[in-house]
Formats: sequence, structure tokens, C-alpha cells
Amino acid sequence: MGLGSRIALVCAGALALGAVGSKVALGQEPLLRPPGAQADGRFSALCIKCGRCIQACPYGAIRAASLATGVQADSPWIDPRQNPCHLCADFPCIAACPTSALAPVDAPQEVAMGTAVIDEDTCLSYQAMRCEVSYRACPLIDEAITIDYRPRPGDAIHAVFAPVIHEGVCVGCGLCVQRCPVEDPGPAIRVTPAPS
Amino acid sequence: MTSSSFKHWTVVRRVVQGAVFLLFCLPPLLVGWGLLGMIPASEDAMATPAEGVFYGSLSSSSVAGLNLVDPLAALETTVAARTIVPSVVFGALVVVVVYGLIRGRAFCGWVCPVNLLGEGVDALRRRAGITLSESVVPRRLKMGIALGMVVGSALLTLPLFELISPIGALNKGLIFGGFAGVGFLVAVLLVDGFGMRRLWCRSLCPLGGFYEAIGRAGLVSVHIDPQSCIHCDQCKAVCLADPVILTPVLEGETRRVKAGDCMACGRCIDVCPSGALRFGLGYGEGAPVDSAPSVEKPCNCTHNS
Repeated sequence: MGLGSRIALVCAGALALGAVGSKVALGQEPLLRPPGAQADGRFSALCIKCGRCIQACPYGAIRAASLATGVQADSPWIDPRQNPCHLCADFPCIAACPTSALAPVDAPQEVAMGTAVIDEDTCLSYQAMRCEVSYRACPLIDEAITIDYRPRPGDAIHAVFAPVIHEGVCVGCGLCVQRCPVEDPGPAIRVTPAPS
Repeated sequence: MTSSSFKHWTVVRRVVQGAVFLLFCLPPLLVGWGLLGMIPASEDAMATPAEGVFYGSLSSSSVAGLNLVDPLAALETTVAARTIVPSVVFGALVVVVVYGLIRGRAFCGWVCPVNLLGEGVDALRRRAGITLSESVVPRRLKMGIALGMVVGSALLTLPLFELISPIGALNKGLIFGGFAGVGFLVAVLLVDGFGMRRLWCRSLCPLGGFYEAIGRAGLVSVHIDPQSCIHCDQCKAVCLADPVILTPVLEGETRRVKAGDCMACGRCIDVCPSGALRFGLGYGEGAPVDSAPSVEKPCNCTHNS
């Protein structure tokens, strides 16, 4: 092995250590990925960060992750509060992916980007106010979100119209997150991204 | 081509480099998107760059429906995911065949934006009167680094060079705001300006290393007419790769620059005061067309072969 190759291996080793280090140091805060993102670490193994899904999204919802995300920098993600996935029927982002990091899905119902979670302490509906914005924003209305109509505890007159997320049905597109009127300390509904 | 060979390759190259640079910026601009990641968010479906004839980045692009993939990124993702994805293999193969047939590192000389910027830094540095030592790091190191990136990608299960690539920072940063390699890009330019002449492009860049590895297969190479050469060594002084790659032709060992490291930039041709250098096609050792054919002909003198 020549001197060059030896230095190269040392450099590669140092880089690998650095990458592992930053992976550990920064944690792996999961990002909300575009639809079709493969699970079990396959997304990050396959994604070459070419940006083609970003350039294919008709809503401008897919962005390149910032440097602060460490090893995930430049990978595609969606900030649903800013601009959620609109679940296009033909999934142009998946069609654009050259590596199948985003793998084909048959129907919007098959997407598994994540699952919406309601903060019952801040959700207006759970405070017995009429809102149900998330319910009406949901593209899978009455499937992924239903309204649990029930009397308000300790109140003989008023009812609670509580939105309830159905795990496994909710695809995590984030349309509800964008529409949620609660702003302080943030939306009362968020998407927990599926690990990618 | 006559003995007054074409000597304006640098002009042609600048046009190509600039055109490639702009080419990647056009698709987002044509649909009204901003550069640097300033993508409009919309409630209604917008036109997208992906709907055009060409879009993408140097990592992967689509040309009239033909899928192209950076071959080093393709290797990295294949070993990281331990999966053979046909569109990755085919997309990379097209790129390898095209550059392979021309000259691997033509990518560096004619396409890569970091090389373009590096050449700019080099010119500014000279104008500013800063003198630098020529790189003393072996030029073949970058092939080792390319290998290291592939091994590292397998170990880390993610395409490693895509994470730190200064080429990506420049290309993808502009197109869609992908700035992951921006630290490396700044480091490369600082070293180019104040450290060691063209260290990154000559000795370190793994993508250059990959193309160096397939470079010898290229059909385009710099040919010499030994009768015209006056041994002024001006070609070596301007060589963007490693000047030693010119030594075999200057010493009469071969008639063409065979080294895989040559990026066919043509600077040696442009600078040659006697017109001894020109681009030629093929692997033959034939003398330039304008001088007496001597090498290919069997010779009838004493040393039989």
C-alpha cells in the first residue's frame, strides 16, 4: 500500500470518526421526510441529497435541512407548520427520486411520514371551545381524525368536540399542523416523524 | 488541424464552465423560484423545475427524461444501503461512459464549479502577489480518498462525501439551498489562496480521484509534436493538474499525455509558444497529422522489433 493510500485511509478514518461524533453529539432528531421515505435507516443510506424531490414539489413544501441538523444537512424535510405535504395524487417527489430513498406508494392512504399528536392541554377543542380545524383540514377526514363528541366533565350544558387521531391511519402530512390556530407555545397538534 | 493549432481552449472552457454553472440555475429561475433555497411556498400547485426538460444537481439530474447520477455518490449509496438500485446503476453508468470516453477529469476541467472558483482564486492570488509552493501532496492521494469515502459510506451507512462536498455546497447551495459542504468549500478556497497551490483539486478531491481512476480510458488527450517542442516548460507552469504528467511527452517517451490525472483543460496547448501541443483523438501514438508520420511506420533501421 502506497503512502498516498495510507494517508487516505487515515483521512477517511478521521472523517468517519468526525461523522460518528457529530451523529452522537447532535442526536438524531428525526425530521419529517417527504412521502415514501424508506424506514430503518434506509432513507439516509440511499439519499444522495441531490435535491430533485425539492425541485419536484408543486407546493414548495420540501426543503433542504439546515447545517444545524448535522449529518442530515441537505436532506429533504418538511416543516408542516410552514408548508405541509399536500399528498399529491401522483407523488412527483417520489417520481423524481433517483435512488428510491423515496419509494413508490400506491395511494395517499399508504403514506407513512409520521403521526399527528394533539396536545390536549393547549388544544382549543379540548378546552371545550369549538374549533375542529384539524379535523376539517385533514385530507383523510373521518378516517385519520374523528370527533369524539362527549359531555364536558363537570358541566351539565356544554359538550367537548374532541379531535382524536387514529394512529396507523394518520399519514403525517401535517396539513392539520399548518392550520392549527394555537400559536402559543406553538401549535396544539404536531407530527411525530416516522424514523427514517 | 494545421500546425497553427487552435489556441483558445481556455476561452471555450470558460464558456462551457459558465454555461454549466448557469444551466443548473435555470430550471428553478424559469418557473419563478429563487436560488439559494428561496423556494416560494404555495397553497396551490405551482409549476416546478422537475417538469422541465432538464433539472437536478451535479449529484443527480434528469436530461429529457434520462436519469444521470454522480458515479461516486452512486457507489457510496450502493454500499451504504447494500442495495443495487437499477436507476442508480444506469444513471451512473451513463456518466461514467460519457466522461470515460472523453477523459475522466474533463469533469474537473470543464464542469466542476469548485475548479472554476479555484482557478479564479489562483488568478487573484497571483495578481495579489501571493506566492505559494506547488502542492507536495501526492496527486494519487485523491484516489485513495475516493476509496476512503466509499469505505466510510459503508461503515456509516450514509453517502459520506455528499455530506461534506464543497462541490455540493456550491452547486446544490445555489440550486436549492443545500449548504452542507460550505465549511469545506471555505477551507478549500482559503488553502487555494494562502496555503498550497490547488491542493484540493490536485490531491484531495475524491470525485477528482474517481475520475482520475478512469482517466486513462479517455479518447481525448494532449498530443505533442516533438520536433516543434522548444522545451520552455511553459506548459508545466500552467498545468491545472500535476505538471509531472507532462514529463513523459516532453522527454519524448510518449506522444500523448496518458496520465489519468489530465483534465484536458488545454492550458498547456494555449500557452505553448511553438504550437507543439494539440488535442488529439484515440489511443494511438501517431505523430500529429502535420508532421512526418514516423512512429506508426515500421522502421527499417538497425534495431529490429
